[in-house]
Amino acid sequence: MMKWLDERLHVSKLMDSLFDHPVPKNSNLLDYLGFATLFVFINQALTGILLATVYKPSAAEAYASIKAIQGSVTGEYVRSLHSWGANFMVVLIVLHLLRVFYEGSYKKPRELTWVMGGVLLIGTIGLAFTGYLLPWDQVGYWATTVGTAMAAYVPGIGNFLLRVMRDGVQVSGATLTRFYSMHMLVLPVIILLAFLPHIFFVLRQGMAVTDKLTQAKERGEDVESKSIPFWPNVALWMILVVLVIAIALWALAGLYPVGLGDPADALNKNKFIPEPAWYFFGIYQMLKYFPGNLDALAMIGLPLIAMIVLFGLPWFDHNPNKSPRKRPVALSVAGILVVGMVFLTYQGMSSVPKAIATTGVVDHPSYAKNIDPIFQSKCVTCHGKSGNYSVQNYDSTIKNVVPGNPAGSKLMTRIDGTQKPQMPMGLEPLSNDQIQTIKNWIQDGAKNN
Amino acid sequence: MTEDQNNNMPRRKFLKLGVGSIGAVFGLTYVSLLGDFLMPPEANAQTLQEVGKVADFKVGEPKFVSYKGSGVEEGLYVINQGSEGWLALDFHCTHLQCAVNWVPATQQFICPCHGGVYDIKGNVLDGPPPKPLPRRVIKVEDNSVQVGGITA
Repeated sequence: MMKWLDERLHVSKLMDSLFDHPVPKNSNLLDYLGFATLFVFINQALTGILLATVYKPSAAEAYASIKAIQGSVTGEYVRSLHSWGANFMVVLIVLHLLRVFYEGSYKKPRELTWVMGGVLLIGTIGLAFTGYLLPWDQVGYWATTVGTAMAAYVPGIGNFLLRVMRDGVQVSGATLTRFYSMHMLVLPVIILLAFLPHIFFVLRQGMAVTDKLTQAKERGEDVESKSIPFWPNVALWMILVVLVIAIALWALAGLYPVGLGDPADALNKNKFIPEPAWYFFGIYQMLKYFPGNLDALAMIGLPLIAMIVLFGLPWFDHNPNKSPRKRPVALSVAGILVVGMVFLTYQGMSSVPKAIATTGVVDHPSYAKNIDPIFQSKCVTCHGKSGNYSVQNYDSTIKNVVPGNPAGSKLMTRIDGTQKPQMPMGLEPLSNDQIQTIKNWIQDGAKNN
Repeated sequence: MTEDQNNNMPRRKFLKLGVGSIGAVFGLTYVSLLGDFLMPPEANAQTLQEVGKVADFKVGEPKFVSYKGSGVEEGLYVINQGSEGWLALDFHCTHLQCAVNWVPATQQFICPCHGGVYDIKGNVLDGPPPKPLPRRVIKVEDNSVQVGGITA
């Protein structure tokens, strides 16, 4: 078979140029993250095609069609795989980027591979963002409303841009159609067009770890004893890494199936509070630290700078060294950025209102265990950094509390409604159990316990 | 023979230019179609539609009304200001377009996302919103209250 192809297409010559890079014996498993990302992308493509066979892309039918998919065990699992796959893809592509950065592999001669990787990253984020709207539930509808609203902060053309993204003034059926075509056609094509050169460059140049041995080989040294062939030795390791990731994906999708919220309601009659997908929480949290008039800077300026740094990195970074030890500045800056982003993401995720377990009334509540979680989930969206009174932590909370005297504590009277307006303002009041628990805590002396 | 060789390069250049320009024509043809498809509909071109009768709106009390939009229900606040006339306000916060809620107790519109606060006329009182709630066209004819697109 191979011989037949070879006679006609000179396949083996081609294969040799692509696969015949001597790989050092102790190569690092982290170097296979790109391959793992490819696997997850294939998972997305396959499950996406399956979903597309039953999904109905219209505002009137989208939600019901997803509901129908959720109705069957396989359907629910496929959707869960697709949704979990999106998370995996974002995580893996970022880890892959960080690994490549750490190894200095974006430097000569691999600048173009890096740039194509940047396109793939943006394409992936675009897919995640456009896919969020498609189930046409409250979460997707309002996350898209808020997400596209950011575009309006672009100076000059902002409002026009916003209307282009939504195909109208607000998120409507027309937006769904637009997002659907982006998600199904435009972005996958962009990803494919960027991926082909990306993988071709990798195969053609070999992975960065093969550089030293390749140079030695060119000098005529015998590298046989120091290397193992890519095919099939390294390939086996690669597929094993992918298998581990695949099992994790399959298991998580099965154990934690993705649910479906309430159908999209453009009028938001149930006062749903939007929150972004977890990977946008870093930006979401950062916005809270910017004073109002600098919002545009955070929403447009910073992403723009990030984009310029991402694509220009191989040219901005003049340090020819690839070894991490010889690049203290680059690694420190990146380290600070990564730690900062992880921190912001964590902070953002823990700041949104979430359902807290109803424990009933706690007779002698602890601040940390029973009281703070109520404030964190119900109050800090407004009474956090902004607002005149913050319940973000104990010290600021206690300012409106008279220990031992619930009825005399402004915190309490606002929560139970004896003093108007009742908090949370404009939303459902806290449950009676929660109110009583907070009362008990103040009665007990409002201790920081 | 030598003359032929001399003419060879310009001839090649001409052919390359030909391939390039025909390719560009292909590209431009399709790109020009794209613009029209991407262009969103004219903003606020809605025709006036009735959302209630005068008697439905108490003076000084914003009322949320809705009507059928493109694939989704759309809505807005209508405020009968008595002698000051009528006001129609979009309900999307100007910060990041979460839906604001009217809170009668404080006579304010409050945004639950980042704590934006507006007065009954939609002016910003507190929080991050950069501008007042957008105003919609409103017209009261005989007994019928009608609304249209955004005015500012």
